[in-house]
Amino acid sequence: MATSIYNFKRIAPVPESSDFLDIVLSKTQRKTPTVIHPGYKITRIRQFYMRKVKFTQETFDEKLRQILEEFPVLDNVHPFYADLMNVLYDKDHYKLALGQINTAKHLIDAVGKDYLRLLKFGDSLYRCKQLKRAALGRMATIMKRQKDSLSYLEQVRQHLARLPSIDPNTRTLIVCGYPNVGKSSFMNKVTRADVDVQPYAFTTKSLFVGHMDYKYLRWQVIDTPGILDHPLEERNTIEMQSITALAHLRAAVLFFVDLSEQCGYSIQDQMSLFASIKPLFANKPTLLVLSKSDVCSLDAVGAAERQLVETAVRPEEGVELAQLSSYLDTGVIETRNLACDRLLMQRVELKLKGSKVSSVLNKLNVAQPGRRDTVDRPAFIPDAVRERRGRSDDSALERDLEAAHGGAGVYNVDLKKRYLLGADEWRHDVIPEIMDGKNVADFIDSDIAERLAELEREEERLAAEGLYDSPEEESDEEESRIRDVARRIRQRKQVIAHESRIKNVNRATLTNGQKAAASAPEDFARHLQLLGLDPAAAAATAAERVGRKRPRSESRDPAAVQMARASSVAARAQSTLRDRSTMGLRNARQKSIADKKKLVSQRQRNLMARAGESDRKIGMKMPKHLVTGKRSIGSNDRR
Amino acid sequence: MVSPQNEYIEESIRRHGRRLDHDERKRKKEARKVHKDAAFAQKVHGLKAKLYNKKRHNEKIQMKKTLKMHDEKNAKQKNDDAVPEGAVPAYLLDREGQQRAKVLSNMLKQKRKEKAGKWNVPLPKVRGIAEDEMFRVVKTGKSKSKSWKRMVTKPTFVGDGFTRKPPKYERFIRPMALRYKKANVTHPELKATFQLPIIGVKKNPQSPMYTQLGVLTKGTIIEVNVAELGLVTTGGKVLWGKYAQVTNNPENDGCINALLLV
Repeated sequence: MATSIYNFKRIAPVPESSDFLDIVLSKTQRKTPTVIHPGYKITRIRQFYMRKVKFTQETFDEKLRQILEEFPVLDNVHPFYADLMNVLYDKDHYKLALGQINTAKHLIDAVGKDYLRLLKFGDSLYRCKQLKRAALGRMATIMKRQKDSLSYLEQVRQHLARLPSIDPNTRTLIVCGYPNVGKSSFMNKVTRADVDVQPYAFTTKSLFVGHMDYKYLRWQVIDTPGILDHPLEERNTIEMQSITALAHLRAAVLFFVDLSEQCGYSIQDQMSLFASIKPLFANKPTLLVLSKSDVCSLDAVGAAERQLVETAVRPEEGVELAQLSSYLDTGVIETRNLACDRLLMQRVELKLKGSKVSSVLNKLNVAQPGRRDTVDRPAFIPDAVRERRGRSDDSALERDLEAAHGGAGVYNVDLKKRYLLGADEWRHDVIPEIMDGKNVADFIDSDIAERLAELEREEERLAAEGLYDSPEEESDEEESRIRDVARRIRQRKQVIAHESRIKNVNRATLTNGQKAAASAPEDFARHLQLLGLDPAAAAATAAERVGRKRPRSESRDPAAVQMARASSVAARAQSTLRDRSTMGLRNARQKSIADKKKLVSQRQRNLMARAGESDRKIGMKMPKHLVTGKRSIGSNDRR
Repeated sequence: MVSPQNEYIEESIRRHGRRLDHDERKRKKEARKVHKDAAFAQKVHGLKAKLYNKKRHNEKIQMKKTLKMHDEKNAKQKNDDAVPEGAVPAYLLDREGQQRAKVLSNMLKQKRKEKAGKWNVPLPKVRGIAEDEMFRVVKTGKSKSKSWKRMVTKPTFVGDGFTRKPPKYERFIRPMALRYKKANVTHPELKATFQLPIIGVKKNPQSPMYTQLGVLTKGTIIEVNVAELGLVTTGGKVLWGKYAQVTNNPENDGCINALLLV
């Protein structure tokens, strides 16, 4: 979208005077040191408080400067905005408010300067602190007096931010006229602005902007509040906004006239308004738009009124006539196009008249090549193409064919029509399906369906003869028992697996002793039963040995123990120590030579008190107790 | 693309209404506010607490005043002076001139009082200021070994016509930064304060030397130019010089506040 050239929307909020103070003073508190003691050097104390005063003054200065810089200066903005702001916020009030802020800034600077000067003579912490307090207090008082200016500026800021972003220099259509004549309806028809439309006067109380595309260009349409026909001095703020837009924007003007007089104003009134604000339309393409043409057209009104309208229309002065009905949607686009064309034409003319255009035009050259000689050099057309051009049947477009044969959805495009093959009649032949280099069709039995049917018939016959009936169930006692046992084994296996899975879970489990204490003799019996053993023998043993442990003699057969011991202990491997010093040596002579060599090789190592070959330790090179202390020449008292 | 323009918030509310629970949320928020404030008041500490308590205190005073006003509006009150002023019982109707005599006697009394209290000043006693607080020693000489020079470290008044002695021989230096020409003078009867130019220092109670130097400390009597107040003597002459006493510590405040002696 065409963004505004001014940053009205980006003005920072202006705090109230009390908030302003809080912001600045808390910033001082946060950003300057806070700890000071009377025992510090006086220069440090002075510096501490001077910093506070200076910082506060600078913060005030910065904040006020920001306000002064961000708010637009009326002399620097486009006259349209300057005038609009004058209408809405009163230029004098606005300038006064900014002026007061500026004065406050200077006063605060002066206070800061004065007190810094006084602080240089502060001779105690108390005095410096009092001076700082006085300085900050006076700055705060100055700011408190700006309460009204600040709140006014905040209101202006909020309103400015909500102003429609109108670009004063772009292609613009301005819609104006009496209240309630259908300006906003037209606006809603041609743009997406969604302006409120109501059946009473002054529904639109301020300027609204909408955007549209025409001829690949972006246009803005400005909807203005209604204007009444009275002198400029009597116009209120709402009307003045329209007048401002009409006066300062170079745009096409669409003056709406309601011939049906449904708006409550007679045609004479409307035309006299047109006459009175006509000076504002000078040099602007103007359209006298007769709206609500569904209710009343130009032919239907009285002769006098018609005369009024027709005299106002002067194409030579740039005033043209258009009719539209937003209700029926007739003439809306035509009116828009007419206005846009006229404006575009005028803008191009203006540009051509301006000085800038020559700098562009002299760079442009539209080349128009002339004839070099009389030799004819026609474009090359292949013979095939030339031949094709002559034929009428083939040149028919697919689109025409489709229309001729029932339209989209019915007509099927013949893709094979232009295949280039050996003979034209092959085009629509069925294309064989090839798989792994073989034609699928070669492997298809023509009588496969028949043979399948034959197979099925045979099956039916066999089934009827009872070939597939299962043989008689021979109930074998033995087998059923085996099966039963097998089933129980499987079940038991499942249970065991399940139990072991549970047992593996990492949690507190009973110790064997606890388990034994918890289990009853019946459990043991049941367990034995489950294992297929007779619990009676065990019960007998238990009854016989009440309160007594099983003796060792009873627990195991001595012969079995003996055997087990013999089988578990293997013969121990015996290793002998051998003298390696003589290994690889043939005789005593060789050995003595080797011993000597060994001693020679170890001599150096022993001299250096090494533990072995691998001892490479480097000890302290300059032990301190040997190199410090008094020197012999007497320069130091000890060594 | 259309960016929101003009009164788009109000327009949206008008077209689509507020969210359904808007009123309820508002009511609840308001109801919770007291609790939130209480929680904040308990949590806050330090400077913030001081500021907050001050604010809250003022709010409470305002609230109480409002309540009282409503009470007064509703309650009937006994009117003590239902009898209009100037109403006189019948037996006193022939007495006249009483009022006038009263005025005369009042004037006499006032005059006597003025004479008696001519030298009664608002601040009769002042704190003594030692020389070493008043002056700073300035070392001079090529090797800074001499110390006969003094710099006044208090605000001073230096008259317009003052010309410095040659700096070499100047014993007392009065720094430019501490010179004042104006004082904020309060007229005790008018209860108004004016910024008036100082004419001279009449008396510094600390010492005559300070008077001579024009040192302004608390309790100093200064002469101020009251021409712009338009005061007139009983004889009808226009007053322009009047005495005032300094009521603050100028070296602490960076300004001079004084009370006019009338």
